[in-house]
Amino acid sequence: MTNPILENIRKSLGRTDQISSPQGAPLSLRPAIYQPRQPESVESEIETFLNEIKKLSGIGQKLSPDGIDFALETLITDQNIRTATVWQTPHLRQLGVTEILNSFNIKLISPNADKHEMAQCDLGITEADFLLPETGTLALYSSTEKPRAVSLLPRIHLAIVRPEILRADMHQVFAEAKNSNYLVFITGPSRTADIELTVTLGVHGPKNLYVWVII
Amino acid sequence: MNETSPYIGFEEYSEHVPTSIPLAVQQATGRFVSGRAARVAELPQWEELRQIGSDIRQHTIENMDGYLTHLEAAVLSAGGHVHWAESGEDARQIVLQIAKENKVKSVVKSKSMATEEIHLNRALEAAGIESLETDLGEYIIQLAGTGPSHIIVPAVHLTKEEIAVLFSKHLGIDAPNDPIELARIARETLREKFLSAEMGISGGNFLIAETGTLVMVTNEGNGRMCTTMPDIHVAVVGIDKVIPDWDSLTVFLKLLARSATGQKLSTYTQFITGPRHAEGEGGPKEFHLVLLDNGRSKILKDPVGRDVLKCIRCGACANVCPVYKNVGGFAYGSFISGPIGAILSPQMLGTQAARELPFASTLCGACADVCPVKIPIPTILRHLRRRVSQGDEFSKPTLSTSIRVTASLASFALAQNWLYRFGTRVLPTFMSIFKRGNWISNAPYPLSRWTKARPLPSFTASFRNWWKKEKDSTK
Ligand code: SF4
Repeated sequence: MTNPILENIRKSLGRTDQISSPQGAPLSLRPAIYQPRQPESVESEIETFLNEIKKLSGIGQKLSPDGIDFALETLITDQNIRTATVWQTPHLRQLGVTEILNSFNIKLISPNADKHEMAQCDLGITEADFLLPETGTLALYSSTEKPRAVSLLPRIHLAIVRPEILRADMHQVFAEAKNSNYLVFITGPSRTADIELTVTLGVHGPKNLYVWVII
Repeated sequence: MNETSPYIGFEEYSEHVPTSIPLAVQQATGRFVSGRAARVAELPQWEELRQIGSDIRQHTIENMDGYLTHLEAAVLSAGGHVHWAESGEDARQIVLQIAKENKVKSVVKSKSMATEEIHLNRALEAAGIESLETDLGEYIIQLAGTGPSHIIVPAVHLTKEEIAVLFSKHLGIDAPNDPIELARIARETLREKFLSAEMGISGGNFLIAETGTLVMVTNEGNGRMCTTMPDIHVAVVGIDKVIPDWDSLTVFLKLLARSATGQKLSTYTQFITGPRHAEGEGGPKEFHLVLLDNGRSKILKDPVGRDVLKCIRCGACANVCPVYKNVGGFAYGSFISGPIGAILSPQMLGTQAARELPFASTLCGACADVCPVKIPIPTILRHLRRRVSQGDEFSKPTLSTSIRVTASLASFALAQNWLYRFGTRVLPTFMSIFKRGNWISNAPYPLSRWTKARPLPSFTASFRNWWKKEKDSTK
């Protein structure tokens, strides 16, 4: 099987050797990478993270597990929430998120619901798999329990996260995540400056991003 | 792409730039330049990062065959499909074929230079498939029927009033002159399309050879929509986008958004390896990667020009370019503008169609100073100027014979001492015919090209005489 594009590339690069393995020529070592960022204390990493979230027009705060009840109530009133959808993860179950929403008479939509139904949702609640303090970034995998649309379709995204998932640098995240089939970095709410350079939040993705760090 | 490359008349266009364009473009570039400067100042290891970024890109293009082979194997083992497209036409046919097999009626697209390069929208529409740009700026210029005026903010040349008129006309509504309201209208209109389209088409910022991963960087969320909602995702990506591994990716992600918009990271960065694993997680059930050559493997042959393939499309070079800031993106007559356009188009479209572009520069070097992967843009510009004027092993000269003859006469005259001195004597006398006061505002061709824009000071003394006098008086 010859591939004309690869043939042309090899010709242009002046290659004369035969491709010996199906993987092509063995690769020479790529240039070395710089030193990754080193972590600071957990407290200061959380501070840095929340600070960045704020700069990105997100709304972040530290919260104790008992505080979730009140915080959700406030969010529901402030944002006029009627429907919500929640990732089915042990962490969120343990915090009793769906029970609390039920107690406020919020209509719950399955996270695996049809996309049209999901698009009607006011609030999507996820956790995150990694946090990057330096950039205020949430990193999320996807699976049946953690569908991609929950952080995308509802007009508000709330991520309830644990400090254990803080990573100092992208390096660590990638070392752990490189073999997953999907990962997304979320750095602030959806934004554009396409019309007269006016910054507008919530173009296609969520308009507001809430991040609660549970300590 | 040589098949369909109409002549790019940079000079002619730039003589008629509407004043609104430089104004709008300079507002955008000014903001990006100061944003970039602030981010760069925060990172003490910035220069080191640029060097590593440059080294890795250099290494990758020199080993492109190996990395592409790895990439293909990895995408296949992740359950994706790989298609190789030698030309724009090949790529269009591949996409149309996938669409036909899946009975696709409508397509949502996220911003991608590769698909603009191959004019994919036109081909889809000709086949009766609706193809909608979903990046807000791209959506606006698609409605307007024009090309992009800036890499990052393609519709920056349009005012909110003009956009409101476009929306009112095309959507049959009464759109207000308010950017936030206009964005809301676009959100609602496009939301419908995201949910109903059968196929999403994207480009890609990087392809990781190690695991076959497509990396996409966007701000609005439309990129996520296009690659999450429809059942089929087709990514059309240039073969130059391949990088070795995830560790190298860290370097480029740190460089890209900072250089482009002055953000630390763009809002959404997606890492997609093949199709979804389970229906419940969402995302497409089929993933197709179209690897586009379209002249890139030929560019690779030229050891000077090939550095253009290191580009990560951040647009920083355009933001600092004094020429680009005065003419805007349209003047470059192609999907890519600014200094990067001036070195890419002549190599991709040929120095016949794009022979003016290497000259659309003052060679001030600001572009090379900001380029995150250290592409020596002025060196390549000079290299291409030589190709246009004298020809080289890759192309015959394409400059008009009259200019070539004039240039060789001039270079002959300047090299003869006596002839040069004679010229400096007669020139002031000759030019005095055109003098008005101390200025020449109406010189004969070819100097008229200068005096059309601003007057020329009249020649007063020859430098040699002046120098002699100075030397004598300081003795
Ligand atoms: S040439 Fe350099 S500065 Fe210009 S777009 Fe490419 S990477 Fe950015």
